[in-house]
Amino acid sequence: MTKDRTLGEHMSRRGISRRAFGKYCAYLASTMALSPKMAPAMAQGLAAARRQAVIWLSFQECTGCTESFTRSYSPTLEDLIFDFISLDYHHTLQAASGEAAELAREQSMEENKGKYIVVVDGSVPTKDGGVYSMIAGHTNVDILASTIENAFAVVAVGTCAAFGGLPYAKPNPTGAVAISELVGNKPLINIPGCPPVPEAMTGTIAHILAFGSLPELDDKHRPLAFFGESIHDRCYRRSFYERGLFAKSFDDEGARKGWCLYEVGCKGPIAYNTCATTKWNGGTSFPIQSGHTCFACGSPNFWDQGGFYKSLPSRTSSIGTVAGATAAAGVALGAGAALIAANRKKQYSKET
Amino acid sequence: MSNLIDRRAPENTTPFVTGLADAVLREIAELLDTLIETGETGIIDLHSLPMTDADRDMLKEGLGEGEVRVDLDVAGPSRIEETGTAGVWWVRHEGADGRIAAELIEVTRIPEILLSHPDDIREGRTRLREHLDEAGETGTEELAE
Ligand code: SF4
Repeated sequence: MTKDRTLGEHMSRRGISRRAFGKYCAYLASTMALSPKMAPAMAQGLAAARRQAVIWLSFQECTGCTESFTRSYSPTLEDLIFDFISLDYHHTLQAASGEAAELAREQSMEENKGKYIVVVDGSVPTKDGGVYSMIAGHTNVDILASTIENAFAVVAVGTCAAFGGLPYAKPNPTGAVAISELVGNKPLINIPGCPPVPEAMTGTIAHILAFGSLPELDDKHRPLAFFGESIHDRCYRRSFYERGLFAKSFDDEGARKGWCLYEVGCKGPIAYNTCATTKWNGGTSFPIQSGHTCFACGSPNFWDQGGFYKSLPSRTSSIGTVAGATAAAGVALGAGAALIAANRKKQYSKET
Repeated sequence: MSNLIDRRAPENTTPFVTGLADAVLREIAELLDTLIETGETGIIDLHSLPMTDADRDMLKEGLGEGEVRVDLDVAGPSRIEETGTAGVWWVRHEGADGRIAAELIEVTRIPEILLSHPDDIREGRTRLREHLDEAGETGTEELAE
């Protein structure tokens, strides 16, 4: 594709009409809880944008994040993102290897100075001079530093990149650190999850393209659209929690009746992520719906919290304000969710 | 029901009618006021509301069935129906697998996605002109032979 063609021109040459942009943005606005009235402006912005250069760096990771990203599943609507970006460098997906691959990275950085996005999955080992993970003779620390130097923004995908993840787990033999420790003042977005929900990754990138700016973030650099509420806030088992109906083991009567999984270790109350609404595998299900607890896989230190099947210390104090307040006020599921929906709307209304 | 907004609770647990349908109907009535008085259109994102199947049915019933139904084939299917309440459209966008990607109530004379986009019209004209020019050239060559 000619780099100076707009996405609208590029797609239209492929026989894809502006209606597809309109539909994609209606989907995006809905997924990100933006006002649906913003969709036409987003479509306009997206159609006028140029293809976004993306350099994807993989450090101490398991490739699960890439698996998730490439499985935004539907071969039509959600896959449009792959037409909107130019993935100039990605170890697992690129055809080039060795020097040719490194050259592609350097070329993209040169051509798109100040405009390219660096996506990173994996944490970075810093112990012993960073020797525990090296690519083409360079440490991860050095590659990250040189690649982000002229980047527009850095997107840390997966819990390893966002918070250190499994490599950071005690005793952290490689001295692994999160990307946030190494980017200085560069704009950073964290999209944690092990792996992250694909829509959270593609939606965030599409938002940058459509608006030319970063989405609204929380204090941990996570996009509020996907990480603004806890799993517990949006869990369909919440009414059982409010009524004190808990499964005591995975095969008891309560479990069979679909009661709350808090006492068998559910970390939903401290997990900020979008699984309960966006769900997985094309909206099929999410762990709690499949009868399992939530691990809080997108939260810092989820791996060192004393066991996946140990319940959180106390129902009221550990959950913090959201659950504490709603439980105390006796808010029913429906009303609670409606309130949350209203709050999300409010949060984004300033973008309209 | 396989879609993004599957919020079914296990059987016999939560009330299935939450009252949301009524709230949405009232909002639609207000949006219709605005449309009639000022011409300004309105949209409600059904995805953001934790509606049960029963709520949805109530909403459908409240709006009634209309006379226009359009199927689009744009990056997966979309169905756009005018409800029995003129000016109120039910818009449903799906991905390729039939999963609902967005579901909206649009209060307007016609949902924008049905209108041909000016850029598409321009592109169509260019293609048609190219085709006519090519056909013209071939025709001339044939005549010369
Ligand atoms: S504790 Fe877990 S299972 Fe129970 S309501 Fe909260 S998120 Fe759902």
